[in-house]
This record gives sequence, structure tokens and C-alpha cells, in this order.
Amino acid sequence: MALLSVRDLRVSFATPDGTVSAVDGVDLDVEPGRALGVVGESGSGKSQTMYAIMGLLAKNGSASGSVRFDGDELLGLGEAALNRFRASRIAMVFQDPMTALNPYMRIEDQMTEVLTLHRGMTRREALAESIRLLEAMEVPDAAARIGMYPHQFSGGMRQRVLIAIALACRPRLLIADEPTTALDVTVQAQIMHLLADMRARFGTAVILVTHDVGVVAGNCDEMAVLYGGRVMERGTVADIFAVPRHPYTAGLLEAVPRLDREDERLPDIPGDPPDPARPQSGCPFAARCGLADVLCAREAPAPVPFPGGRLVACHRPLGAAP
Amino acid sequence: MSALLSVRDLSVSFPVRPAGLRPWQRARELRAVREVSFELDAGETIGIVGESGSGKSTLARALIGTIPAAGGQALWRGEDLLAMSPAERHRRRRDIQMIFQDPLAALDPRMTASEIVAEPLATHEPALKRTERRALVAQMIERVGLLPDHLDRYPHEFSGGQCQRIAIARALVSRPRLVICDEPVSALDVSVQAQIVNLLYDLRRELDLALIFIAHDLSVVKHISDRIMVFYLGRALEYAPARDLVRAPSHPYTRALIAAAPIPDPAVERGRIRAPLGGEVPSPLVPPSGCAFRTRCAIARQSCAGETPAMQEYAPGHFAACPFGASLDTAPEGPARNEAMQRNPSS
Repeated sequence: MALLSVRDLRVSFATPDGTVSAVDGVDLDVEPGRALGVVGESGSGKSQTMYAIMGLLAKNGSASGSVRFDGDELLGLGEAALNRFRASRIAMVFQDPMTALNPYMRIEDQMTEVLTLHRGMTRREALAESIRLLEAMEVPDAAARIGMYPHQFSGGMRQRVLIAIALACRPRLLIADEPTTALDVTVQAQIMHLLADMRARFGTAVILVTHDVGVVAGNCDEMAVLYGGRVMERGTVADIFAVPRHPYTAGLLEAVPRLDREDERLPDIPGDPPDPARPQSGCPFAARCGLADVLCAREAPAPVPFPGGRLVACHRPLGAAP
Repeated sequence: MSALLSVRDLSVSFPVRPAGLRPWQRARELRAVREVSFELDAGETIGIVGESGSGKSTLARALIGTIPAAGGQALWRGEDLLAMSPAERHRRRRDIQMIFQDPLAALDPRMTASEIVAEPLATHEPALKRTERRALVAQMIERVGLLPDHLDRYPHEFSGGQCQRIAIARALVSRPRLVICDEPVSALDVSVQAQIVNLLYDLRRELDLALIFIAHDLSVVKHISDRIMVFYLGRALEYAPARDLVRAPSHPYTRALIAAAPIPDPAVERGRIRAPLGGEVPSPLVPPSGCAFRTRCAIARQSCAGETPAMQEYAPGHFAACPFGASLDTAPEGPARNEAMQRNPSS
């Protein structure tokens, strides 16, 4: 059974200009101990999907559908009930490691708080465990640096601290929202390496939200491609990279510049991603799709199953019919 | 040799006052760019790649004269840009234009697209008639892939990719010889990023334009550049034809950058090393003695702390500032097949 199962998730925001739909019927599944990559460009709804799962939507946002974690429905739970899931069972790491830490609190206090609150440790036990966690995250000189403030840490070190905090209560699922986007590429490689290490050690399932398909290729088992608030395609990473079925997935994989390729002009996708404030009928990718016809513009395609557990939301999938 | 631009030993420093410095103590010197040299021919693209704080943007700003250089020369067809008076430099700016990372921030929100693109013409070709100017602007707008009815819209009505197209039109309308692009695509979505890279690629051929293309992403830089210079802590560590640099990197730092760049292919990724470069970039205020990279280098030796290694030519036109570059195993074919960077994941 899936550890996390999201069904028909819809997220919308009440704005002065009317209701804006950010997520429009998303289904996702994460199996225990597995890593799901959620790929999408800006406005695809990938981050809002995660905020809805964690109950962290902005005040003007509302979610409908179902988010089941280990059998329990999370959507619609009150703050107190949600807090029992957060940290101890589902934890989240954000893109910007500077704003996610409290600048006025020592790292020590931010880490021990979680452990005393959720794992019932004494302050002394919590401190020892925090140092162990930082050492596991390869923070040099952890025992001395734990007394410092966030601004005394580099971006990469702050992200290590955040991952250490996220893993402090041994959650069964870690949601990492663009965890390395703000970091340099050599530091990104370090952080991804550590995440893989932690997954292997604790058996934590991971949702890795990213715009970078290269990161998904190297670090995830399954993937879901989001566009315009919908899942275009999902399945195993190996299958999707080998034979993308959705024209958007195919275009996205081709558009990424690769070090191991010599071609000079990149195969780009014409046009721009859709603006969530201007809703359209039909498939959100239709306006940029070379294969789109009247049906695509009129009717949003439902996901069609393909072999290997793949689901493709397209009226004109690439390759053979299922 | 008649290079369009010849940069020789360019250095840029900033005075900084770190926290804890007493009022009577002298400010410290942050050397952001240190003795960088390169030549750029007409129509050529040089890519400058480096992580944050490597000095790549500072170099760009020194070349267009928005920050002063501390030493060296930048000869533009024989004239030193760095020694020019502001008035002379202003005239020269017709030949040298710049494109920035954040296209929305680079465009005046109160001006329409056509006003933005027309502005350099008003400055550099005041004799042009209104109708001529209007025609040139319309032509340029169309060339960068925007529609005629976009002319009278304001920046906030455009997407990020479209804003970058307007910025490109503004940069090109005065027919410059060189455009300095500072992270022109890093704020854009992948599918749009490819459009802008392709647009620059085509325009540079069409207009015989030289580009200095600055980015942190080696994969992007490789696609557009003829030659690539790798920056680290203000110094150029390697300088080579783009394909040679990626196929046969001769500096350990370049190797690490290539190893760290994810490749969107699970079959390739699974076989690659998962032993990333350790540590972080040291503070530019207290750079390591000798080789700037030695504190993170796997093959560093005692001697690396002494003299700063000079650029050596490992192959024709392929320079690296590492005396041990040749002892890195023989030329790998590419990152995917590079034995030195692979490790059996099950071992």
C-alpha cells in the first residue's frame, strides 16, 4: 500500500481578481522508502501541491480532494491534529535555507526544540542527538558550530541543518521542495549525496520537487511531470526517460542542455507556460503542443494507463497505443 | 592579431570592512577578479562559468565600466576601455551592450516595449527620424520573436522569457559588436531557457556578434560558447575550446564541476560517481595561498600552497592553471564515459 496517496487534489486561491486555480486534480503515490521526483516549471502547481499535503497553504488558499498518509486522511485536519503528523511522520525542507531558519535562534535551540517536543527527550539528550545528526550531515566541527546563529553558516551548511532538523524525528516521508536550487552545483551534489545516504540509512521515502530533470534522473525511482496544475505523466524514472509518452515530457527532456551532447541548437518548446490567473479549457499544454487538435483544446484528457504502471494524460500520446 | 577585445591581467578589488574591524583599522581588500586575461575575436562567443562569488559578474561590470578596475587593460580594437574618460566610454557603449539575469528588473516598468527598445537609438543615433526609429524598433521586436501588438505593452504584461527577448532587442538595436550576457537564462524555465539560448545563438551568427556569456551552468555555457573560461575565487583556472574543456578537462576543479552537473538520463546518472567535491568555496577575503582551489582539491600537494600556478598550455589553445593537469588520467571522452568519475554504485 502506498505510504502517501493523493487523489484529485485541487488547490485554489481567493484573490481580489477572483479565484485562481493552482492545482487542478493531481493524483500522486509514494511507496514506503521510495523517492518520487515531482518535476515542473514555474506555475505548474508543484510547490502548492506539497503545501496542501503539509497543510501549509497560505490563508487565502483552499484544498479539496484527498491526501491519505498511511491510511489517515490529512486534508481537513485541524492544526493540532496536523502537528502530530508534521515533523514526526512527514517533514519538509524548503528551497531557501536562509528564510526557513529563525535568524534570532541559535542552531542548537532550533534543533533541540524539535527533539524535546516530538521525541520527548530531555534538553541534554536532545543536544547530544542534535550534534550526532549534524555530524551525520557532515557539518564540520558540529559540537562547536551548533551554538552559532544561522547567518554564521553558508547556504550549503544551512541546508544541511534543515535536513538534519527534518530527519530528527525519523519521519517516514521527507518532502524536499527545490532543496538545492539556491546552492552552487558542487554543493548541490554534496546535498543530494547526503539525502541518498539518509534514505538508505533510515528508509525514509522522499518527494523531491524540482525543475531540474537531471536531478530526478540521478536521485528518484518514480516521477510525476506537472504542467498547468495537472499531472501530465507519471511512472518510473527509467521508463519515462527511455520513452516519454506525453509530448510535454518529451519536449522538456529534449530542451535540457546536456554536457554529454554536442548539438548546438537546443530543441526548445515554443511559447510560455500557462498563467494560472488565466484559466483555459482543455489540455493546459495544447497551446504549445505540436500534436494538439480541436479535442485537446476543448477537453482536458484523463490519465490513460500504459504498461509498467505509467499514466499519461494526453489525447495523442507518443508511441504505440496502450 | 586583431582581436576585438583583448583583456590583459584585469584585476578588480573592493574595500570591505568586516564586522569587528576597529574604526581606525584600514579596510581590507577583497580581490574579486585577479589577473584575468583573454582575447575575443569578432563574432566569437566566450563562456565564463563559475560558482557564486567567483568574480564572473564583477568581470562583466568592470568591462562595461560600472565598477573601476584595480589593474590591467581591456583593449577594444586597440583602445583601453579602462583608461577611457566617462564620455568616451559612453560612446563606446554603443558597441558593447549588456543583458542581465532578471529581465523584469532590467526593464523600466513605466515604459512600453517599444520605448524600451528605442531608448538606445535616442542616445546613440539622435539624428534618426521618428519614423526610421519606429521602423528599426519594430524590426528588432519582430526579430527577437515578439509580435507587433506587443510594442505598446508594459513589462508586467510579459512573461519572463518575453521580457528577456525585449532586453535582447534593446541590446541589439544599436548594432553593437559585443554583448555581455550575465546569467541571461538562469531565471527562466527550462523550456523557455532553450528558446533564449537558441535566439542568442542565431542572432550572433546573423549579426556577426561577439558574446561574453556568463553563467553558473556549464551545460548551458557549453551549448553556446566557442571557448570557455572557468572561474574560481576570482581567478581563471582553465581556458579552452568548449568541447575540449568538457571532453578533456585539465584542471581538477573543472573536473569536479563536470562531475557535479546532473545529466538528464538515469542510465548515465546511475553509473556516475557519487563522491562529490568536498567543502565549500573559501572566503574571498582570506583566499588560500598559492592555488585558490587547493583546499578542496583531491590531488593537492605541499607545493600547491606556495606559488600560484601559472596557466600552462596542455593542448593547442587549451590552458589550465595546474601543474598536475597532465597527471589527471588521459583524456576522457566525455562526462558520461569518464572512468575517473565513475564508481560502481554497488561496491
